[in-house]
Amino acid sequence: MSYTSAIYLAIFLPVTLIAYQLTPKKHRGKILIGASAVFFWSLSKWLIVYLAGAIVVTHYTAIGIERAREAAFDATPDEIELRQEKSKKILRLGILLVLGTLVVLKYTNFTFMNVTQLLRSFGSSIVYKPHRILVPIGISFYTLESIGYLLDVHWGKVKAIQSLEKTALFLGFFPKLMEGPICQYSDLEGTLFNNEPLQFENLKRGMLRIFWGMFKKIVIADRLAIIVNSIYSNYSDYHGGMILFAAVGYTMQLYMEFSGVMDIVIGTAELFGIKMPENFRQPFFAKNATEFWQRWHISLGKWLKSYVFYPVSVSKTVKKWNQFGRKKIGKFWTRVGTSALALFPVWLINGLWHGPFWNYIFYGMYYFTLLLIEVSIEPTWKKWMKKIHVDMKAGWYRAGQTVKLLCIVFTGEMFFRAPGLKAGFTMFGNLFKDFSLAPIFNGALEHYGLERMDLNVVVWGIIIVFVFDILKEKNKLSYEEFNKLALPVRWSAYYALILAVIILGAYGEGYQAIDLIYAGF
Amino acid sequence: MEELIEILNDIDDSIDYENETGLIDNHILDSFGIITLVSEIEEAFNVSIDVADMVPENFNSADAIYAMIQKKAN
Repeated sequence: MSYTSAIYLAIFLPVTLIAYQLTPKKHRGKILIGASAVFFWSLSKWLIVYLAGAIVVTHYTAIGIERAREAAFDATPDEIELRQEKSKKILRLGILLVLGTLVVLKYTNFTFMNVTQLLRSFGSSIVYKPHRILVPIGISFYTLESIGYLLDVHWGKVKAIQSLEKTALFLGFFPKLMEGPICQYSDLEGTLFNNEPLQFENLKRGMLRIFWGMFKKIVIADRLAIIVNSIYSNYSDYHGGMILFAAVGYTMQLYMEFSGVMDIVIGTAELFGIKMPENFRQPFFAKNATEFWQRWHISLGKWLKSYVFYPVSVSKTVKKWNQFGRKKIGKFWTRVGTSALALFPVWLINGLWHGPFWNYIFYGMYYFTLLLIEVSIEPTWKKWMKKIHVDMKAGWYRAGQTVKLLCIVFTGEMFFRAPGLKAGFTMFGNLFKDFSLAPIFNGALEHYGLERMDLNVVVWGIIIVFVFDILKEKNKLSYEEFNKLALPVRWSAYYALILAVIILGAYGEGYQAIDLIYAGF
Repeated sequence: MEELIEILNDIDDSIDYENETGLIDNHILDSFGIITLVSEIEEAFNVSIDVADMVPENFNSADAIYAMIQKKAN
């Protein structure tokens, strides 16, 4: 059962909503937990024990940390230090357990395969046969949530949750299980546990968002998936324009799918009056790669910023570097060094988090290099532009920035999607061989499983989404503004959206159900 | 406060620090600006900023940053 399946939308959600509403307020949380358990079970069966284990470990670790910390306030300095050390020990144990589980399940084969390969290059004859290890759905997401929460309790940013039921709901709430967003506790504590009754306004708002997400996912992304998969699985046969099409097509597929599923997830939570953080903010309107990552998969970026980037940037090592740099090498190189020290672990983790494959690690290092270059040259660049009187807000300048950003993003996603790092480099090399855009426009695309009508639906669908993105970027499109429109206009929009999903959705005969991309991470 | 505004202007002089109250919430100051700011503050005011201080409320305005510095100095 995934978020776009008929069973989720037509049975699971309505039954959960009715059961939630019929249950007395103080027990509604249990309904949401029960629904989350059913949802998880439908995808990962007995692997639910891993989620249950993570919930129990997170819950009692947080309480242990808080107890150690609280006692410190009216104690002597020595005692404070002792108790802070104790809090740190409990924190380390908790993180070791939840992170250890993720590492063992997800990275064992990758580690052993690479170690044996390295040993073989030194003459060893060891052979490692990869084991089939079952990984529970969403482990990469709830593990980060657990670690973030434990660190927040340790730093005194949030209070430990005292009820196991609430911890279970925080980590296991079904709408975010498969693809996030990766929530910090402070994102959810205001609405997740309120158990408010269903309200017509929330239901309307949530359903509208769900259908908008469905439109992006099953009308656009699932169609694009057919042609994109076809090119990537025979990547060595293509060059020039077709490789460019594959890179652009996959980026569009990923954006439509991931942001569409986020609309479904956030919309589902809204049905229950629960507010979830946004995961996308019109990413293609960013000025550079740094800003792109503040708008694309926001929750992962925010997590890495809060729990890796900032902690590293105020660590003793970086502080020592700053002191040394100021005296010996000047402000500019000190800044570059500080940024490199804080950015490197962020992008290494970002790459590895997506999965145990070298192309993901390359993807992380690709953005590490680009962001480091951007942050290093930005101040000097701005000064030059000012000197030669270039208006950095002018249309032509912004257009240039967008073209540069698109080249960066398309190239990154090509390596990300490629079946292996070697394949990524082959595709990148082939991009420049016999370059021609003719195959895209001469009807050749119709030989990859999509008819002309399908291609038209994809193109017009993408145009509609980007028009809405432009309106959102200019603050001209919000639910509140939409609600002010005349009744016939609003209902026409509802019907148009619902009919578009039902009539144009890529499901049924001739289409295969497409798995959610981020659920695989 | 003057010294702080000078540091902030050194990072980005196109921002009205006297009146801006959403440096973080409105995505005006990015994470690289923040880590540069933290390093400059530590040097200029002889304080030590730790990870628990790295919250948006402490960096949303020049006043909030100054209040954090004073708190750390005491």
